[in-house]
Amino acid sequence: MRVCKNCGSSDVDVDQARGNAVCMGCGSVLEDNIIVSEVEFVESGGGGSHAVGQFVSSDGGSKAPSFGDAHLSGMGRESRAQTVQRAKQHISTLGHQLQMNQHCLDTALNFYKMALNKQLTRGRLSTHVIAACIYMVCRTEGTPHMLLDLSDLLQVNVYILGKTFLALAKELCINAPAIDPCLYIPRFAQMLEFGEKNHDVSMTALRLVQRMKRDWMHTGRRPSGLCGAALLVAAHMHDFRRTVKEVVSVVKVCETTLRKRLTEFEDTPTSQLTIEEFMKVDLDKECDPPCYTEGLVKKKMLQLEIELKKKMDNVEDEIHGYQDEIDAELESSRPKLRGVYGAYAKQSSQYGAVSSPSALKVELQEPNEDDALQAVAQHFGKNLDELTLEALIKLERQAQDGRDEDLDTPKRRGPSLESILGPMPSSATLSVSRRGSIEEKENDGDPDGGELDLSGIDDTEIDLYLLDENEVKIKTALWMAENSDYLKEQIEKQAKIAKEKELGIYKEKKPRNSKKRDQIRANTADEAIGKMLEQKKISSKINYDILKDINVKPNQEESMKPEPSPSPAKVMPRSRKISQRIPLNLSTPLSSLGKRLQPFISKQPNKKPALEQNSNPLPVPAAAPPPGGVVVESGPVLFDIAAAEDEEDEEEEACVSAMALMGGNDYGCDGDYDDGF
Amino acid sequence: SESRAEPETGASNIVSTVNLGCPLDLKFIALQARNAEYNPKVGVYVHKIREPRTTALIFSSGKMVCTGAKSEEQSRLAARKYARVVQKLGFPARFLDFKIQNMVASCDVCFPIRLEGLVLTHQQFSSYEPELFPGLIYRMVKPRIVLLIFVSGKVVLTGNQVQHTHTHAQ
Repeated sequence: MRVCKNCGSSDVDVDQARGNAVCMGCGSVLEDNIIVSEVEFVESGGGGSHAVGQFVSSDGGSKAPSFGDAHLSGMGRESRAQTVQRAKQHISTLGHQLQMNQHCLDTALNFYKMALNKQLTRGRLSTHVIAACIYMVCRTEGTPHMLLDLSDLLQVNVYILGKTFLALAKELCINAPAIDPCLYIPRFAQMLEFGEKNHDVSMTALRLVQRMKRDWMHTGRRPSGLCGAALLVAAHMHDFRRTVKEVVSVVKVCETTLRKRLTEFEDTPTSQLTIEEFMKVDLDKECDPPCYTEGLVKKKMLQLEIELKKKMDNVEDEIHGYQDEIDAELESSRPKLRGVYGAYAKQSSQYGAVSSPSALKVELQEPNEDDALQAVAQHFGKNLDELTLEALIKLERQAQDGRDEDLDTPKRRGPSLESILGPMPSSATLSVSRRGSIEEKENDGDPDGGELDLSGIDDTEIDLYLLDENEVKIKTALWMAENSDYLKEQIEKQAKIAKEKELGIYKEKKPRNSKKRDQIRANTADEAIGKMLEQKKISSKINYDILKDINVKPNQEESMKPEPSPSPAKVMPRSRKISQRIPLNLSTPLSSLGKRLQPFISKQPNKKPALEQNSNPLPVPAAAPPPGGVVVESGPVLFDIAAAEDEEDEEEEACVSAMALMGGNDYGCDGDYDDGF
Repeated sequence: SESRAEPETGASNIVSTVNLGCPLDLKFIALQARNAEYNPKVGVYVHKIREPRTTALIFSSGKMVCTGAKSEEQSRLAARKYARVVQKLGFPARFLDFKIQNMVASCDVCFPIRLEGLVLTHQQFSSYEPELFPGLIYRMVKPRIVLLIFVSGKVVLTGNQVQHTHTHAQ
């Protein structure tokens, strides 16, 4: 129950017709112009009756309801409302193109408002944000719309949209459930036009997709690809002829992808079932995802290769061992050629294909490296490409096993092989020696305060990284050639800057700092005020020149003011009296003024400019009327200050009234002047 | 799905930054050093060394980014080598604020992973978008690491915590 504020009585009469609420006890009007919720009717010409009122949209619409005072307020709509309105339009356009219902569009708008509040729309194209909001709705509602559809409509890269979507989802903490390929089947089935059997084909395709899911084919893959494959198979199962191309155009994946999915499905045991079996039976065995099985297969292949290689090595070694033995036997059993023939035979055996390790030594010393390498390679039965330092050493060691137990031999052989095979890349040798040093060095923090710790760095290695003079010249030439355009630009820029500097209009492009103002350093309060005013530039109506005049010394003010003309004797004593004091006018530095004005100045700096302005015109009219008779051009302020100086012993007021400052007390003085004429 | 051999791990990349403490004339260095390129438009110069196999981006302000090392010590050593090169060319390079920015490691758990199940149970951490990327992006809060989990069982971890955190996360 309403209670009257004034008398406390609860007897309040509310009159809807007049729109008043009046207290019956004291008679005070508690409410006026009550907003009513009745419906009124108005009779229109012809006897019909209409309800009075306007229709207002629930979300505020484009214009806020104006109650007849629209002409009064000149403000337009708020910028935030405008943004939301624009977003609403875009969302509804996009949504209608995708055939989304109104509820989804409203949700999308809500997402957009949330994003606005969290400042997520900044730095992103509004179209992207809107698309992301719509897609979010699609995901949460489970509509069969793909991100690809949106990107098709907007002609934007799908990954860019995806990035925006992910960012929004993360910020708004909206966890969209994972996409289920089953959602897309009805949509694609419809697009493939199966006619009456649409439902059957869809069901079959659904079963297929579920089977694929069990077989781990759908993880990490685009759902559209899976659907495409499933639909293709289902169509064939129901005697529909749909080519791969048709399916691809509907589902929007590549042909290759489709074929790959089909192959993968082929690999699963389900593919072996007949159609009827498939519809009834569900195999229990689940397969691993194809990428995992491929990985396993690769691993197996690698292992097999290694094993086979080893076996091959063993077998080949055996064969060569036998070969050597046979040759040796043959040699010994062959009738020894004597004389000239023997010499010939020896020669030929030297240059022929070598098959004994002893001859190998001879071969190695040959200057012709390629032949030697070939011979070595042939002996060990490998290709030349497979020759590596370690392999050779290992093989040599094996060959030497029978004869030389000495461990030094491989090492001795090492250098010779090296020299034959040519200089190895220096880093390799370095790395061999480096490994030792790397282990040794310490790697704690820099306690030495940033000095470069040189331990573990070999100077010679570093020197390798520096070019010598010739190389530098070549590199310079090459680099200049490549980057000539840029260099030209730089030169032009420099020339331009130099020219402008000469003309004096060069604006140094300083990097834009934030608007940090330097601290005002001033010795006195007035300096500080002056500088602050200059910086802030409070008003354009203030004549800053006059402000500057304040700071000018008293001996300068003579030049500023018109010379006192020869005055009538009457005024002389007064002027003398006045001139004895510090000639006070606007040019007088404030610091020399009495204490009276000082506190005023320090406390109310802002008022001062206005005051100056006001007092500025005053002296002029005050000086004008007395034609040439006034000696001291002091303005009204002066007199007050003069009076103040006289009355310094009097109580000091912290605040001087504006009237007083303007020279309200001077009326008497002016009057004196006037009387003088 | 049986799990086979032990999961194999290894850090594959480490990114670090260091401040050499003096402004550099990039053109001069680029022309004097081997395996270095200078791109004036970008204003940065790229230098590679073979041991440890790393790449460094050096800026004219003296700051340097070193990538490609396989361990923290290697990254530090490589950064010091670059600094030494710069020093040899006559600039008073120092070694200030060496900081490891990011480390990437990969490992294999050797069994297939069900990503949909993972995204259902760990919704607030994981983000799985098969249309965009085949892996699941899992942002672990403590230690602060992002994992890319794939269905084949391979996991890629990246973050700027210390090496032992990577092993802990596994």
